[in-house]
Amino acid sequence: MLSQWLFYAFATIAVFSALGLILSRHPMNGAMWFVITLVSLAGLYSLLSASLLFALQLIVYAGAIMSLILFIIMFLNIQPADIPDEKGRWAYLLGGCLAVVPIGLLLLKIVKTLPEGEIDIVGNGFGNVKSVGLVLFRDWLLPFEIVSILLLVALVGAVVLAGKKEMNQ
Amino acid sequence: MIHDYLSLSIVLFCLGILGVISRRNVFTVFMSVELMLNAANLAFIALARLHENMDGHVLALLVMAVAAAEAALALAVVILLHKHTGKVDTNVFSLLKG
Repeated sequence: MLSQWLFYAFATIAVFSALGLILSRHPMNGAMWFVITLVSLAGLYSLLSASLLFALQLIVYAGAIMSLILFIIMFLNIQPADIPDEKGRWAYLLGGCLAVVPIGLLLLKIVKTLPEGEIDIVGNGFGNVKSVGLVLFRDWLLPFEIVSILLLVALVGAVVLAGKKEMNQ
Repeated sequence: MIHDYLSLSIVLFCLGILGVISRRNVFTVFMSVELMLNAANLAFIALARLHENMDGHVLALLVMAVAAAEAALALAVVILLHKHTGKVDTNVFSLLKG
């Protein structure tokens, strides 16, 4: 029962802070709202007894990736004049709702056809470092290596792109 | 209970799509893409919990790694855009139009 209340609390926080992300004008406010979304998603992961993913969500997502984004936002020193004024923002949001809501309703309908399962905390090491690591290095070894190559390529690409001295305009 | 988790994931995904198609600020668009990735992660983990199978956790982990790579590259492109035009407006990218 407690886990149900916690789920509703985290879900409400996640949805409202996601709304804050897509409605706030300055990217800094949006990033702060998005950090709240990420932290509440970490809480949901812990309710789903995924303890490794809970820690990684907090350390990698809310920690590393978001601090990178915040660092870049502060580094660019965006003045209010640089922000696009987006006069028709509300009209665009309304039109976007018209496009997205039917898709969302269709997906919700699909979800209703899935088997329902009761969710409570499971024991015997479900989702901890050891068991996830065993699955990762036994069944998912090739995707793991491919992702490591992808990270290396992204690192080199970021250095090449952002380290250019001048654009040959 | 699993339906609630999957419904929340769909709602977050739709909010992410809404942010991508209706905003013009590069950072907001980028963070909306991250929001969509997180919604997919939530669905993976909820279904992994339903089937008591840890493949979903591994997939969520790989998605996180891809998101980190995407963040590095996208922010490098944003820095280039800002150096080039002094703006963070996605409409600047329309200069690629013929």
